[in-house]
Amino acid sequence: MKTHISPTALARDTRFNRQTSEDRFTDPRSTMEVGHVDPMAEDVGDRARRRMHGIFVGEIQALEGAGRTAFDFPAGDDYANGEIPYELKLDMARQCWDEARHCEISIKLAEHMGGELGEYVENTMLFEAACHNDPVFRLAGVNRALEGLAIDVFTQMRDFGRETGDPVMVYCEDFMLADEVTHVKMGSKWLRAVTENDPERRKSALEFQRVVDGLFNFRGQRGEEYESPIRLARQFRKMAGFTDGEVDVIAEAAAKERAAIEAEQMAASILAE
Amino acid sequence: MASSPRTPFAPWDRRELPGKFTVEETARRVGHYKWFEMRMFELMAGWIATIPELDIKLRLGTHSYHHAFHSELWHKRLPELREMNPERKTVAPNPELEAFVTELGAPEGDDKTLEKLVGMYRVALPAVISTYTYHRNNTSKITDSPTIRSLQFCLNDDMEEWVEAEMTIQSLITDADDARRAADRQAELTTLLIAAGGIAGPGSVGSFDLEES
Repeated sequence: MKTHISPTALARDTRFNRQTSEDRFTDPRSTMEVGHVDPMAEDVGDRARRRMHGIFVGEIQALEGAGRTAFDFPAGDDYANGEIPYELKLDMARQCWDEARHCEISIKLAEHMGGELGEYVENTMLFEAACHNDPVFRLAGVNRALEGLAIDVFTQMRDFGRETGDPVMVYCEDFMLADEVTHVKMGSKWLRAVTENDPERRKSALEFQRVVDGLFNFRGQRGEEYESPIRLARQFRKMAGFTDGEVDVIAEAAAKERAAIEAEQMAASILAE
Repeated sequence: MASSPRTPFAPWDRRELPGKFTVEETARRVGHYKWFEMRMFELMAGWIATIPELDIKLRLGTHSYHHAFHSELWHKRLPELREMNPERKTVAPNPELEAFVTELGAPEGDDKTLEKLVGMYRVALPAVISTYTYHRNNTSKITDSPTIRSLQFCLNDDMEEWVEAEMTIQSLITDADDARRAADRQAELTTLLIAAGGIAGPGSVGSFDLEES
């Protein structure tokens, strides 16, 4: 089997429709804005179904990405030449199992919410990050940035389940949240271990993580306020090994982006008047 | 008050000494098992992205972890068998088994799910099950109990996977062409496995030779 496949090789059945990252970022209809899943909003059902479909898409690509990392790199201690620790491969296989369960859970929850697979378009940005040639970048981009995002999303959906009186949702999201904390910890542990003697590589990987975090700020929609569409789960992120400083950086980057967008919108409305 | 002496082994305890394998032979086999389990979990993990059927992706995610866990059991057993550098024993028994694994992973396209599953679950996995069963039934339940415990863990997972995967394969075979594809693939890989002598090399499942047995 070939190692290091292209992200376009990702196989899907016919019910799914794919959108490239380029298409998504150049879409003039602000599709990056995910919106707050407000339990009191009129369209809460639609928003929640869309969010749950997004969770499923994230989980399946995380499964596929972890699988590729388990396969693509041989076990060994020559980290500079593409080998990775045997135990890291074991952790990736473990992550495959966890993500497979998360897919099963999100499929059942989506059905429970009246949604169906393929109802929304699939963006492959997560899998693209999981196809990086350097395993350390995969750990930074997927396990730390995107699994970190999953911590935020699951915490928020668990709280949404509490607010809407849905114990099944609360139960499932809480189990998935526990797994995601473990996956972020794995990422932090192996990123440190593999780059122990290569500070430049570590620095570049962390820079890549910031880029991925920036892309998933959803045009500045991450924040710590209750009404933030994606609320940063500081407590669980710290449990997973993030420092307060790292969470502050994500929050500040999102706030800056939000301010810039608001300024643009204000300028546009003044010009229109 | 002193109790009256009892037999050290209960009347129903039929465990015997010795077993068929020495410490060195056990370590050799365990090293081959680890090598093969690693190849299994890597292939299953790698296939997840390129197989379009959703249910199969999800099962491969689970099965890949089973085999990673099995490889770890063998990795941990090696130092207990006086092999302090487990990597030294983590090898294929011969180049023929390496060739088998290369062919096992050869199907690439997203229309090759049947070939992938037949190779893994109608050839590789049954070979693992038979080798582990032979080992479990021939080693000493007293001296080599730790190996037996690990073999049993593996076999529990493997038997469940075997049934599950066979049902999936049957669901993929819907006409005579599919049946032929499956049979051809099975024959091709079985031939390669015969050349290797099994996942632990010749003697993987023992011998019917009167002198050797």
